[in-house]
Amino acid sequence: MSQISAEAYQKVLAGVTGDPRMAEDNVSAPAATAKLSKLLLGIGVVGLLVTLVGGFMLGAQHAMASYLVAVGAVFAMTLGATVLVMSFHLVNAGWCATVRRQFENLMSLAPVTLLMFVPLIVLELFITKGAIWEWLIPGIAEEDPIIAIKTPFLNPAFFTIRFFVYLAILGFLTVRLRGMSIEQDRTGDRFLSARARFMSAWGLPLTALLIAFAGFDYFMSLQPQFFSTMWGIYIFAGGAVSCMGVMVSTFCVLRHAGRLKGLVTDEHFHDLGKLLFAFTCFWAYIGFSQYFLIWYANIPEETFWMLERTTGVWKGTAIFLSVGHFIVPFFFLLPRAIKRNPKLVAIGGAWIIFMHVIDYVWLIRPILHHGDHVPTPMSWWLDIAAIVGVFGIFFGLFVARVGSSPLTPLQDPKLPESMSHKNYV
Amino acid sequence: MPYTSTLSAYLPFFRSPPPRFVTETGEPVWGIMAQFDDVVSAYHAAEKMRDAGFSKWDLHAPFPIHGIEEAMGHKRTILPYIVLVAAFAGIGTAIGMQWWISAIDYPLVVQGKPYGAWEPFAMIIFELGVLFSAFASLFGMMMLNGLPRLHHPLMLKDSFLDVTDDKFFVVVEATDPSFNPEHTSKFLREIGATAVELVEDA
Repeated sequence: MSQISAEAYQKVLAGVTGDPRMAEDNVSAPAATAKLSKLLLGIGVVGLLVTLVGGFMLGAQHAMASYLVAVGAVFAMTLGATVLVMSFHLVNAGWCATVRRQFENLMSLAPVTLLMFVPLIVLELFITKGAIWEWLIPGIAEEDPIIAIKTPFLNPAFFTIRFFVYLAILGFLTVRLRGMSIEQDRTGDRFLSARARFMSAWGLPLTALLIAFAGFDYFMSLQPQFFSTMWGIYIFAGGAVSCMGVMVSTFCVLRHAGRLKGLVTDEHFHDLGKLLFAFTCFWAYIGFSQYFLIWYANIPEETFWMLERTTGVWKGTAIFLSVGHFIVPFFFLLPRAIKRNPKLVAIGGAWIIFMHVIDYVWLIRPILHHGDHVPTPMSWWLDIAAIVGVFGIFFGLFVARVGSSPLTPLQDPKLPESMSHKNYV
Repeated sequence: MPYTSTLSAYLPFFRSPPPRFVTETGEPVWGIMAQFDDVVSAYHAAEKMRDAGFSKWDLHAPFPIHGIEEAMGHKRTILPYIVLVAAFAGIGTAIGMQWWISAIDYPLVVQGKPYGAWEPFAMIIFELGVLFSAFASLFGMMMLNGLPRLHHPLMLKDSFLDVTDDKFFVVVEATDPSFNPEHTSKFLREIGATAVELVEDA
């Protein structure tokens, strides 16, 4: 790696900081973020209270499953953002320097969303014991040999330890990576980028393992007889595509508020739209591969899970998911002109976020259709309440994060490249 | 001698019209090439050519120049639409072929799966879609570019060889409606050409 001298680099930085596009009113968050954040948090608290009431009315299991749907969806989003930020650092990407801060804001909520699992874990370990995570039902290991052989992994002690390991890894990586970026705003130290790159190099494989194991723990172990080796990558694919959905929507709103003019241009939207499109295809590819292998191999431990979700009452959801999460966004995002139109690509992104929630409903909610308690469609208000509650809290915190720092890195060494970024195709 | 194909000897409608301009030696004029010595003057020359309304012209350079499409006023290619049609053709072929084979013409029980199950078709649908798209991209690109061709009148010009070294050439074809040997070469000199040469059709 060739380096330019410190004096020469100071000149480069002076060119960036002196650029009219880096003016205070272009890179600072709109004043409305504080108000919007409070509003969203308020909606979130109301939603969660309704969920709590619903838990007493319709049973704790239903409320917990609905809450897990919502928390799982936002948790996957933050994991997608974590992987994307580290990938940007790792490949030394230039085009994304001006958009990276919002990815970092989303990423920094990963430990927060992980903490949102705490009420569920505490309830499951001490009070409801196996209402949603079936392997926690006392004595089930003696009855079910498949669960019995999985007890070395699926036991309360190890489950709790793993939670703290995830928290430590995600907490350290996300706080440190975002912190270095904010520190660079202040000091202009170009070697912070190199340190972030080094951290991403070991952090990325660790995060990949974390996604897989957290996916096993919180979503796959709902039905512990089932296993799929594509589970981790499926969780990542959904998280990455919904993360891109949040990002394009955020940038569209920020541009509408008159911010980031000339910094996040149609060229950046084109590239963000390409990533959104690519991860949409990736999600479909992984989702189909998982379904196809289970369908072909025809092993009862696997097929029962897929049968529940592709036949009977959940068949319609499965079809809606493949059409709405893949075919519609695929053709919508295919034309170049749409990817270069911030409003249209943001509509695509918002739709993807909605479908991402449906994806988690499809993954998690069928567990309620076991045994004697089968929820009627009239009870869907509880799911909506939990989703509104968790999304309100999550986006309230996200908007607060957006407002807490400059909207773009201020002294990143890649800024000159990003500010003159252009797609030549 | 101007190039005439044997085909046009038998089929008169393949015969090209008589040349609009001829050189002093009687050779038909293919066009004009103008040499530029640096990339900036070539770029600005391209902008002036675009603004002067020339349509059948091209710029040759030793390396790709970013933004030259705008300077030359190029429209975006229609290749993506060709590829889209090819992709649907591939998808349709894959669905039709597999369904006809495994559900109608020769139904065979494989692993107890239904005859017309869509799941195993999906890979082939994807693959044929990609294959047809790849072929359409490659051959469509060649067709739109007039490739492959074994010969070009510019190849007989020794001075044109510098295009692989450090010179830039703006070339106007005689088929351009606003082409005229005297006026066009005068215009090219005005926009900064260091040398202007007639290119014979050969």
